[in-house]
Amino acid sequence: MKKILFIIIVIAFTFSGCEKDDICDPNTPTTPRLVISFFDRTNSTPKNVTNLKVIGEKMTEGIIFNENALVESDKYITNGNKISIPLKTNAESTTYRFILNYNDPNPALVNEDVIKFNYTHLNTFVSRACGYKTTFTLDRNSPFILTDSDNLEGFWMQAVYVQEPNIEFENETHIKVYL
Amino acid sequence: MLSLFTVQAQETTANKTTITNKTETKPVKPTPKKVVTQEVKQDSIPVKTDRYGVRFGVDLYKLTRGFYDSDYKGIEFTGDYRLTKKYYLAAELGIENKTTDDDRLNTTTKGTYLKAGFDYNLYENWLDMENIISIGLRYGFSTFSQELNSYKIYNSDPYWGELPPEVSGEKFSGLSASWIEVNAGVKAKVFNNVFVGFSVQLKTLVSNKKPNNFDNLYIPGFNRTYDGNFGIGFNYTVSYFIPIYKKKIVIPETEAKK
Repeated sequence: MKKILFIIIVIAFTFSGCEKDDICDPNTPTTPRLVISFFDRTNSTPKNVTNLKVIGEKMTEGIIFNENALVESDKYITNGNKISIPLKTNAESTTYRFILNYNDPNPALVNEDVIKFNYTHLNTFVSRACGYKTTFTLDRNSPFILTDSDNLEGFWMQAVYVQEPNIEFENETHIKVYL
Repeated sequence: MLSLFTVQAQETTANKTTITNKTETKPVKPTPKKVVTQEVKQDSIPVKTDRYGVRFGVDLYKLTRGFYDSDYKGIEFTGDYRLTKKYYLAAELGIENKTTDDDRLNTTTKGTYLKAGFDYNLYENWLDMENIISIGLRYGFSTFSQELNSYKIYNSDPYWGELPPEVSGEKFSGLSASWIEVNAGVKAKVFNNVFVGFSVQLKTLVSNKKPNNFDNLYIPGFNRTYDGNFGIGFNYTVSYFIPIYKKKIVIPETEAKK
């Protein structure tokens, strides 16, 4: 009898493997952003952009690239060679304005190109805490449409290529831009 | 009935005295049997008996929850059968319909479950008490379906704004799960054959048939699931004991033989 009791108590203690699962772990892959990398068109090496600001269509504020910037306006500016931008999860396309040399004292250097990304999206289950995520597949025939802005200063993006049409993870480049 | 039983029991222990008693009482036919027992008790050791039988009950917590929680409807029936002095075969049968509203998901689970196992009574009852403080083990099995009512998409970058929940209505059926649980419980006799009790259960999943592109967030009988296999449960029961037969307690008999 005592042995059976002991065994039952031991089993009861092995149950204590519970974890907190109400908060979505930031490391869980959820809805991915579109990753765009910039390259030098002469030698195909990664190239930093200068004061790039990216604004969504019909949006007033740009995408925050630098959360910790001291000056408010610097948060929306990037000088790196890679950006991640969110796609709309409830639409079949997302349009962004890419403004190079934003707020440059020389207005001739400011150059704006517009890209419309076309895609299909799929919602998949992640977990109780995270809910669902949306993954995207760029349209096979017309993955993007590159247009110039209203003031025709020409394209700063010399060439745009699709590297990975399936947008599922953020640790890879989906779009390559040569400048 | 009760007195008849005791007479029978005592006849075996003190057979010689009862025989003499019988011969004395035989001519007086209309005398009630109670008189006989009284006479016997005077010259024999009082004998303890244990009652054996089945007990049927219902979980009041599940039953009443439906009245105040519009997201829940369910019932659980419990039953046990006394096998030996300490061991009881025990089972629970239930049906549940529960809507779970999480931050990002709203699902409705419907299904039935059966749990079977045993309870071991740790409590040493005095005299004719029949209380139970038990620990036990169960194997549980449930078949159920889930319906995804609505869900939210997790987007770490809220640039385009947080979207309202998407209405789904997708149904996942033919699901099943099984588990082992350890329970600790109390049952107290309140009057006659009526018992009230409660128990707590710790559960661990043995099998869990999950749907494609979804998870079993709630399993009838097992309750809410966690990241691991762990689960907890609780019930509050009222039960009725139906005695089938009696067994003498062995210890006083051996003492008498000395």
